[in-house]
Amino acid sequence: MTEVTLNSSLQVRCGASNAFLVTASLIEPLITEFEMHGVYISASRGAVELINTLNEIGVATDNVHFIDCVSSALLGGTESSFPNISFIDSPIMLESILLRTLYNLNTMPGESKFVILDSVNALAIYNEDRMLAEYLHTFINTFRARDVLSAIMNVPDQTPPGVLANLDLYCTDLIDRGQVVIS
Amino acid sequence: MGASDSIELLGGSRGPCSDTMQGAPQYKRDRCVTGVHGLDEILRGGIPYGSTLLVGGTCGSGKTTLALEFVVNGAMMGEATAYFAATEPSVKLLENVRQFSFFDMDMVDKGLLNVFDMGVAYSWLGLTKATFTMDDVNALVKAITDIVNTIGVTRLVIDSVTTLCYKIPNDQLIRDFLFTLGKTLATQGCTSMLVAEITSAGAKANWSSFGVEEAILDGIMVLGDIDRMGHLLRYLQVIKMRGTDHSRAKYALELTPNGVMLTPMLKWGVDL
Repeated sequence: MTEVTLNSSLQVRCGASNAFLVTASLIEPLITEFEMHGVYISASRGAVELINTLNEIGVATDNVHFIDCVSSALLGGTESSFPNISFIDSPIMLESILLRTLYNLNTMPGESKFVILDSVNALAIYNEDRMLAEYLHTFINTFRARDVLSAIMNVPDQTPPGVLANLDLYCTDLIDRGQVVIS
Repeated sequence: MGASDSIELLGGSRGPCSDTMQGAPQYKRDRCVTGVHGLDEILRGGIPYGSTLLVGGTCGSGKTTLALEFVVNGAMMGEATAYFAATEPSVKLLENVRQFSFFDMDMVDKGLLNVFDMGVAYSWLGLTKATFTMDDVNALVKAITDIVNTIGVTRLVIDSVTTLCYKIPNDQLIRDFLFTLGKTLATQGCTSMLVAEITSAGAKANWSSFGVEEAILDGIMVLGDIDRMGHLLRYLQVIKMRGTDHSRAKYALELTPNGVMLTPMLKWGVDL
């Protein structure tokens, strides 16, 4: 990634097996190269595991606030010493995720900010297609209006077609890091 | 959007409760900017100055936080405010509100935020009976009005008016009490929120506990929960607000360390 436009919305496509590498390669330049602060909405995996894995490969996460939509479903999952994690009761609380993201963006320093949604597929497990499409529409426009770079992760062959069509329509840019599997 | 942003946005040249739409083609009433994130936008600039609102809601829906934020934001803008606590002691209320970043104990020390225990007020007035007469009700209205006059209160909250109305034996007296209180406060230029406890906030529910409050007052805001697959999502809806156009949609409400935040509720997520 060589440049970022703050009011743009990236659709980031990845494969089922390279999702974490794509995540890391997306977040690393935002933090180190562009010195941005941001919010990472983690619906695919717990934030503690994600922070530890990112730190292990040398990606600092101090400037990122994590909104963890997974760990509340696990007994004891919200016991964490990281101050930069907020826990949401369930990935079905889509409006709460949006408001928590806005709150954290409003309270963090810096001019250039990003929000990463990981991932559409995880949200699709819990949310009905029409509601998810409506949410993504709101999500994209909310952050574009606030000059916040948004990146929405998805595995296209596992994303509901109606939702994917909406992403294609409303996102301003597409990064495709899907893996070709030769069987 | 913070309180100061709201004022700037609305171009208020006459202080916090100011003319909001200068140069607009039609007449607009002066507004009391709440400073609550998203609420002034829903009300197209704020609460019409001098209105008395019913803030009805189920338990845990955020009524007290919303009402506190309303008076605290007024105090932050230099207004004298009053909060009559009937459901919990003022000490406990202040202790609970300390967790929010919008609160500053200095406002209490400077006399901008005045918190009164209704229980103490009843004792002062000798209203220790289980049921109030019309004279008792008038004495209570006078006591509240005297406080408003003496301190110069421009924002007032009674939390909750339901516990007070339980002491009033019939609907006609409740109606008289609310009408007199609302009229007197409006005359004093005081914008007020009367918090009411309701047991359910669905389509068939009353907006108030006794079913008479809603007809008398200038505005009704309802706070409740939507059960989305076993998870309760808070919402706010403005049902009625005299003197202004306003949104009547449901808004998701989140309690953050900065106080209440609102965003339009997903249309496909309202009736799951």
